Amino acid sequence: MFELRTWKEKLGFFALLAVIAFFLFFPVYWALSSAFKANGELYRMDPTFVPHQPYLGHFVSALTEGPLMLQLGNSLVTSTASALLNAVLAAFAGYSFAKFDYPVKKPLMLLILSAQMFPFGVLLISIYPMLQSVGLLDTRVGLTISYIVFALPVSTYMMYSYFKQVPNELIEAARVDGASNFKIFRRIVMPISLPAFITVALYAFMWSWNDLLYSMTLITSDDKRTVGPGLLLRYINENNADWGGAMAASFIVAAPIILIFAVLQKQFIGGVTSGAVK
Amino acid sequence: MDMATPLPGRTHRKPGYLKRGDRLFAYVILAPAMAAFLVMVAWPFIDAMSMSFYSYTVYDPEPVFIGLDNFRTILTDPYVLGSWVTTAIFVAGTTLLTMFLGLSWALLMYQDFAGRGVFRTMTLLPWILPSTVSAFIWAWMLNGRYGIVNVLMMNVGAIDSPVQFLSNDVGAMVAIILTRTWISIPLFMSFFLAGLQGMDFQQIEAARIDGAGNLRIVKRLILPHLKPVFLVTGALGMIGNLQQFDIIFALTGGGPVRATSVLSIEVYKQAFQNWSLGMASAIGVLWVFTLMPIVIFYLRSLFRED
Repeated sequence: MFELRTWKEKLGFFALLAVIAFFLFFPVYWALSSAFKANGELYRMDPTFVPHQPYLGHFVSALTEGPLMLQLGNSLVTSTASALLNAVLAAFAGYSFAKFDYPVKKPLMLLILSAQMFPFGVLLISIYPMLQSVGLLDTRVGLTISYIVFALPVSTYMMYSYFKQVPNELIEAARVDGASNFKIFRRIVMPISLPAFITVALYAFMWSWNDLLYSMTLITSDDKRTVGPGLLLRYINENNADWGGAMAASFIVAAPIILIFAVLQKQFIGGVTSGAVK
Repeated sequence: MDMATPLPGRTHRKPGYLKRGDRLFAYVILAPAMAAFLVMVAWPFIDAMSMSFYSYTVYDPEPVFIGLDNFRTILTDPYVLGSWVTTAIFVAGTTLLTMFLGLSWALLMYQDFAGRGVFRTMTLLPWILPSTVSAFIWAWMLNGRYGIVNVLMMNVGAIDSPVQFLSNDVGAMVAIILTRTWISIPLFMSFFLAGLQGMDFQQIEAARIDGAGNLRIVKRLILPHLKPVFLVTGALGMIGNLQQFDIIFALTGGGPVRATSVLSIEVYKQAFQNWSLGMASAIGVLWVFTLMPIVIFYLRSLFRED
């Protein structure tokens, strides 16, 4: 798009590129490099940019000492369950909004989307006693259900905008063959909408996997804690901070989601930007 | 696979609805999401609204109705009111910085150059890291003794001795704004990049023949083209930043003292540290009213074409 003809234009372009790239990527590099440094090399006023003596001790102790693996398991279970639950609810609701016409449809849709107006922290004030009264406080089931709040509105809109592009002729044709509404949805619409479904599930998964507030508040037992509050409690406290350990544990925790994104990122970005760019 | 709704420049075909639409089926499949919304969003908010008229603390065995007293307290307490100012500084700083850097990065990534693909892929990284992890990374970089930011600044002579960024008011605010901006750039870059796909190249070529330089093309053609994207992403950014909790809590906990105590932190502390649920609800209700105009604006622009 730009024409970089003179050296001044080239310099300007690549200087801006370098500055923002440094801001975006250097922190990740620095954290990774720190994770591989023994404490002697880590806490220095003249830091080494590449670890001189690569050290795996922080990774070993993060994995073998303390509850990180247990917390990863808890995060995996609650995030996967809430992602699937959210994607199923969003797919049903999105299909209803996209392909059927009925009174009060638009107000209902606005209602679900307006959920973004209510900060999670405010809802939590009432979700807490509500879970308590049905015995779901401090349970992974309770946490999973509460996670629906995060992603459902945007997920519903994402499924809606995808289903709107599914041709009606496809559905009408199946009807002529005598298929029921549910069968059409399951056998025809869902298979071609699988990419959207995966995107939405991944979007919800990310919200839950990254969550700190709900997990910190709704889970009080150590054995049910997820990674977000788990990391915070273990590595950073008033008395001492184990930065090498924190960096190593951070990358262990981030690894699953980085792997998923490495595979699915293109499709994911298309899905998420659909809500804002028309 | 692209599941985006029509972008500027593409033709928009109105899909219409199924003729023999089964209303019952439509209601039945909507019901689960609706129920989830009612139980997990609508009811908790209504509950919080009614709770805002009560005093309900650890000293009250039962909620005590006190009318508008909570709101009166909020409006006369400079500390609580200060949360709105703190929130405004955080939201304005973060949203503006994110939009500026997100747009710049999108323009850079729209240009064809060797290695662009690698940059684009890596860009997502800050966004997908769990918030605790991002907070760790920045807390370590800004560490008051061994942090790399201090080291670099001392090396270039900008400072004489290490700065305790997270223990002073301005430093803590700058830290949370920078960290949140860092996390948000990838998403905003994606929004702007999606908007740029609809650019009219003939227009740019024509302007170039007329002798327009790169900056002029950005100012005269690209920025006006992106105006709708600006409005919607600006609203989305403000909504997200107004609700931000995780990063701030993990980095500063709202401190030092109250320097970064935004609304989300304030409500959390009132509710789950002081167990003053009535007061927390009252602040929460006012918080929702702060968000409402932006959400309405966002929803209106979302539905303009439907």
